[in-house]
Amino acid sequence: MALLSGRNTNTSTPPIHDSSHGSKKSSAATPLSRKTGDNAASISSRLGDSLDVVSRTIGGNSPEAAAVVIVYIGSLIDQQMIHDNVIQPVMIALHANKEQSSGLKMLELLSRNIIATGSMMAIKTEEEALEALLNGFCVIFVDGIEEALITVTAGGEQRSVNVPITQTVIRGPQHGFTEDIYTNLGLIRRIIRSPDLRLTGKRIGRRTQTNVFVAYIDGIAQQSVVDEVQRRLDAIDIDGIIESSYIEEFIQDRTFTPFPTVMNNERPDVVAASLLEGQVAIIVDGTPFVLIAPVTFFKFFQSAEDYYQRFDIASFLRLLRHITFFASMLLPALYIAVTTYHQEMLPTTLLISLAAQREGIPFPALLEAFLMEITFEVLREAGVRMPRAIGPAISIVGALVLGQAAVQAGLVSPAMVIVVAFTAISNFVTPHINIAIAARLIRFSLMLCAGLLGFFGIMTGIIVLLTHLAGLQSFGVPYMTPIAPFIKSSWKDILIRAPRWAMKSRPEVLGGGKRKANASMPDWQRQKKPE
Amino acid sequence: MDKLSKYQIVVMIIMFELGSTPLFQLGVKAKQDSWLAMTLAACAGLLLLWIYLRIQNRFPEMGLADLLRVHFGKLLGTFTGVLFGIYFTYEASRNARDFSELTVMTILQQTPQWVIIFTAALISLYGVYKGPAVFFRVVEMLFPVVIVSYGIIVFLLFVARLPNFHKLLPMLENGIGPVAHAAFPDILSFPFGQMIVFLMFWHRLAPGKNLGRTAAMGYMIVAILLILMNALSMAVLGPDISALSSLPLLEVVQLIQIANILERLDVFVTVLLYIGLYVKMTLFYMAAVMMMKNLFKGSHVAWSTIVVLIICGLSFLEPNNTVRLWIGLTVMVKLYTLFQIAVPILVLVVGAARGLGTKGAPPNAEPVGEK
Repeated sequence: MALLSGRNTNTSTPPIHDSSHGSKKSSAATPLSRKTGDNAASISSRLGDSLDVVSRTIGGNSPEAAAVVIVYIGSLIDQQMIHDNVIQPVMIALHANKEQSSGLKMLELLSRNIIATGSMMAIKTEEEALEALLNGFCVIFVDGIEEALITVTAGGEQRSVNVPITQTVIRGPQHGFTEDIYTNLGLIRRIIRSPDLRLTGKRIGRRTQTNVFVAYIDGIAQQSVVDEVQRRLDAIDIDGIIESSYIEEFIQDRTFTPFPTVMNNERPDVVAASLLEGQVAIIVDGTPFVLIAPVTFFKFFQSAEDYYQRFDIASFLRLLRHITFFASMLLPALYIAVTTYHQEMLPTTLLISLAAQREGIPFPALLEAFLMEITFEVLREAGVRMPRAIGPAISIVGALVLGQAAVQAGLVSPAMVIVVAFTAISNFVTPHINIAIAARLIRFSLMLCAGLLGFFGIMTGIIVLLTHLAGLQSFGVPYMTPIAPFIKSSWKDILIRAPRWAMKSRPEVLGGGKRKANASMPDWQRQKKPE
Repeated sequence: MDKLSKYQIVVMIIMFELGSTPLFQLGVKAKQDSWLAMTLAACAGLLLLWIYLRIQNRFPEMGLADLLRVHFGKLLGTFTGVLFGIYFTYEASRNARDFSELTVMTILQQTPQWVIIFTAALISLYGVYKGPAVFFRVVEMLFPVVIVSYGIIVFLLFVARLPNFHKLLPMLENGIGPVAHAAFPDILSFPFGQMIVFLMFWHRLAPGKNLGRTAAMGYMIVAILLILMNALSMAVLGPDISALSSLPLLEVVQLIQIANILERLDVFVTVLLYIGLYVKMTLFYMAAVMMMKNLFKGSHVAWSTIVVLIICGLSFLEPNNTVRLWIGLTVMVKLYTLFQIAVPILVLVVGAARGLGTKGAPPNAEPVGEK
């Protein structure tokens, strides 16, 4: 675990003889040799003599018995840093070193006085050396002692911090997470400058050895939730973690549900705000998507922007989002039910207009709706996957051929095109894509219900859906909180976003407690009475 | 076992008692005084509620099954328990049949009834299978929908100037006799006496909460709501049409026509009654399952399946709606009285005689805890 301590974090010299380190693997460990040449050759061969493994021999009389050998993997390290802070100082020091000291004395000399990097540690086995190398450390073998030094020199090209692509806001911070976990941790730490922010790391993935950090704020997050997250992470045994969705699938509460019980987010501000409300974040190396748990259904309808805009417009937009979410699930089903079973419900003029449109349409409404919905799903998928250069072709095909031409050819009614289009647009209003996906899937089953039993079918579908939702939990928190179970104090931030001074307490299910002492409108905001 | 909150109990009482009640113009025998009959029955129902609460408060941790065993001894208690299980099942089956009759009468005229009954049974099965904690949460979610919808209907009725409260006059035209006759036992047993089913669920209230006040609050709210709805619908339709109509609330709502766009709101009503029937049916069904499970062990899934099959079977018992209503109003009302009034009073008396529930008096029979 000490290897995770990261770049530039540990500035004091660590104990040279770290007894706890590597104890787990000591049973099958190969001890280091006294000869630097043997060590370097052995390490290199265990890495398959890969071309990017560099071993730099310094000093000594022959390559086999060099005074110091520095081994690193060229593709994982920062060339500038290893040159300036490790190789050069060592060479200068060895050149000036008249007494030709070696062994432990040399090791301590290098560690204390010569190598200018942040953290440094001594190791005793080849396995530790390999692990260090693969994490971007460089290993420094010293002649005459069965120990070696490792120090962090990780580097290489990384995508720089950019505007988040999936969750954009008009007002608010414009930086998103990157693929580099230390950058991401830094982005969070720079928002929450509290000593109570806890970042505990672990390695997951037998082959990939991916760094995974669990972040929470001590004293706000519930310890039981933190423990449960750790427990579930520890239970993961898999070859590799490529993206945080791997972790999500392992730690989520239920597999057979369209609803996500873990949220992912690309925005440091949202993650920081979640931590401040008592949630736990899981940061995975190699992906900009940070997991947040526990979450409730309504969290997925909160956009970061809600908190950066005035509360009135934010409340309006949030209500709109909830409504459009249900519209995107229900609208085609309602259309099918009304046109197939309950024509009498429509006002007469609307009924006549719809009937005129449907005249000559060869399909029943259910089939018509299915055709159009599937068509839209195909268009959407094509829009995401196609090469950017042929983008305009999709819009032409979509708009002209499938919309206008299909109506003119008498295959679908114009009203159906409107319904499908509105449904599709509604689906994009939801700020978190993974709950919008749930609505997409449920839409089809509700359409089927409506086609079979009309309104009765839709009601049945909704009751089943609600029962399913009521039974869901996310890390012990009922998914539909605070509506079911009802928690009054949490309602200020659910369907609407109350003014900030009114939101006095943190969400109760996530830990609760006061987030600030004042909870009344400041006196300078009160309307002055005319004198 | 997840504990229920006070709010959940209140909401469940309201939703359960609302149930299918507005479907029928209760107390129509008392003509324009139907709402007085409702009031009378509600007051008597309050007395029943007090009895139920007294029984529950003797052993706050026990469900009805254990309460019966403690009071009547193992053998007799089990026997009464089974009778109650059958009673709950039968009530659930009547609700299932209500479901199909209502749906076929209103929105799906050509669908065979068995399709509706099986669909209703399936969603109830799902709710029961998930257990009381989940079902109470479902009802919590449905509650705002129902209350807002009733609010909208009432608001629109007034906007359309439909209620004419002169239709409620003269009060007590023929004295108190017809009112009392309409109230007892019909209205008392449906819906107010059905509160007996909560003896299966009250013990799940989180400890340290005042059950009596909670239950009484829920009961008062829903009683007032029901009386108001009854009076309102009588004020719209008048005693004559109310007596003739099979679904008076539907007739009331169909009269709403505002600005050529707000019309045909009966689908609103159908949705409301759908929710009400679903809640009622599932709660009875769940009570039956809990009862049998407590009495005879066995798995939750097994009992849920058995009971749902019985419910489906029972709901086909009557050949048509007329026979069904006749049986309900003549034969069953007397049987209901047995379960809702006679047995609880007996339990109360037996318990008092044996000094149960007072401090230091341990229950004789082994309570069979759930799970």
